[in-house]
Amino acid sequence: MSIEGFCVVAGVTLSRWTMSYFALALLALLSAEGLMATGFGFPAAALEAPETLVLVHVVAIGWLSLLLCGALFQFVPVLIARQLYSDRLPLPTLVCLVAGLLALVCGFLQLAGRVSPDVPCFPAAALLLSLGFALTVWNLGRTLWAARPLSLPAYFVVVGLCALVATVILGVIFALTLGGTTTNATLVDLTAAGLPIHAVAGLGGWLTFTAIGVSYRLLAMFMLAPELEGRTTRGALAFGTVALAVAILGGTVAICHAIGPENRVGIVLTVAGVLGLAALALYGHDIRHLYRERRRRKIELNSRMAGIAVANLAAAAVGLAILAATGLLERYVGAVVLFVGFGWLTGLGLAKLYKIVAFLTWLECYGPVLGKTPTPRVQDLVVEPSADKWFFLYFAAVWAATLALLVEFPPAFRVAAAVMLIATAGIVAQIVRTRLLANVASERRLPAGAQMPRLLVSSPKST
Amino acid sequence: MTTAFVDLDVRPVLRDGGEPFEAIMNAVGGLKPGEGLRLLATFKPTPLLHVLGARGFTHTAKEIGGGDWEVLFSPALDAPPAGTTASPESANPAAADNGAWPEPSQHMDNRELEPPEPMERILAAVEAMAPGEVLSALLCREPIFLFPQLAKRGHRWRGAFEDDGKSYKVLVRIGAPTKGAL
Repeated sequence: MSIEGFCVVAGVTLSRWTMSYFALALLALLSAEGLMATGFGFPAAALEAPETLVLVHVVAIGWLSLLLCGALFQFVPVLIARQLYSDRLPLPTLVCLVAGLLALVCGFLQLAGRVSPDVPCFPAAALLLSLGFALTVWNLGRTLWAARPLSLPAYFVVVGLCALVATVILGVIFALTLGGTTTNATLVDLTAAGLPIHAVAGLGGWLTFTAIGVSYRLLAMFMLAPELEGRTTRGALAFGTVALAVAILGGTVAICHAIGPENRVGIVLTVAGVLGLAALALYGHDIRHLYRERRRRKIELNSRMAGIAVANLAAAAVGLAILAATGLLERYVGAVVLFVGFGWLTGLGLAKLYKIVAFLTWLECYGPVLGKTPTPRVQDLVVEPSADKWFFLYFAAVWAATLALLVEFPPAFRVAAAVMLIATAGIVAQIVRTRLLANVASERRLPAGAQMPRLLVSSPKST
Repeated sequence: MTTAFVDLDVRPVLRDGGEPFEAIMNAVGGLKPGEGLRLLATFKPTPLLHVLGARGFTHTAKEIGGGDWEVLFSPALDAPPAGTTASPESANPAAADNGAWPEPSQHMDNRELEPPEPMERILAAVEAMAPGEVLSALLCREPIFLFPQLAKRGHRWRGAFEDDGKSYKVLVRIGAPTKGAL
């Protein structure tokens, strides 16, 4: 038998702290929705108000970034079939990010006059968050670097990590300026006009672009669809990368070299937006292809709900284009950001989390005894009909909340936010039941040799 | 059995930010039958434990202070290290990894199954096979969560994408009954 070309691959084990990342991320999501339901921040306060900034960062860092970091520490090794560079760094990284977020929230509350200005919250936030994200980029970057040449989905993650670096650098500049640490004229200009660039780099680059890369692989895997490496996928990567480069680098240059009080950030962002729409159109084409070519006809909840999230992204892109073309974007930008954050990113995140927690828990608990004794299947850990209704309620509430912002009726927004909170709590309860094996019949739950997983920490030894 | 160990200290390479994998595999390739490797590293080289486990080495790892680790890789009794030219296959059930493996006694096509069913089927099949036998399985992607499970059970494997670039073929060679988990 020929064994030429065969190689030994070490495989991937469980990332110990990923469940802790997920738990803290969900806590941040529930907190943000609770704040929205009580009328904290936009639309009761202005879009630029410190209260709104608290809300945005609890969602962007506390929920979405922790979710993405926890998922990447587990799934970048899956994307490239390599072990994570360091299994020790994720814990200090988590501590830095959470402490940094708390300091940042305190800093915004100082701006709002709700917290005493004596404590240097912004410098602390700048230090802790840049350290936490630097550790993330270092760990994932070293992992990816060792695996060159990379597959196409991994390149999306690389570009996402570059956008994360840009987001953090701008964020640190803002924090040091707002905290009074620096009065450098260029940095003050960047703080005054750079918010759209920071938001595009964070929401569009780090969160959306990375999620797109991971979704290519996860959707293909869970629906038994062919992996995409073709021209449209390369096109999505190329257009998206150029769009982000234009927005981030071009936008920064436009601010630093502004002539008079006017700068050309608006023009730069329009160009980037057109390129970004092309990338999203190609991504949409690819995802439609994946759903059509799948060999598994009956798909699971996570793939169905991810489909709704991708449709929301498409709707957001179309809406964004229409609002920009009609000059109404500034008035409705809050609704667009809400819809991207909750309809697309949070929807996709919750859908994938539902599957990932089930799979990782199953692998941790039953992996060691597979084949030796009858074990439950992954799908025995979940009860999809129970989760289905919470997901539909969640998406309906997000659509209602967006509509409430479009018709500028804040009371309806608060009701919708409260429904989002309830639906999210329902989904979280389902995920916790999965982790605790509560959906598995008790006589099958723990066959000989299997160990009950702990809620917040995985045991890599079991794989 | 007393094993003679060849020393390899990769700490200077690691401290310089280098990648010692090639040096380690060269050292392993140069081992004589029955020899083991004493490896000194600045961290516990978990992926390497799996790689060398797949080549028939058992290991004991201990921390030796300052964050450094000493790992002793010993050739398993039935499995001479890679590069060994000894022994006809049938007499020694594990002719070296670089040598020929017997024809697979079982074939499996798992390409139409959703993860993790391929892993479940492969692990169920290997439990029923005798030491030295080889299982061949086709999959639609690299089964990266399977490998640590195989390593833990003392089996060895090789895998590669087929020429079509879509099917992944993995060969699993059944090891001697497990002598304790990794």
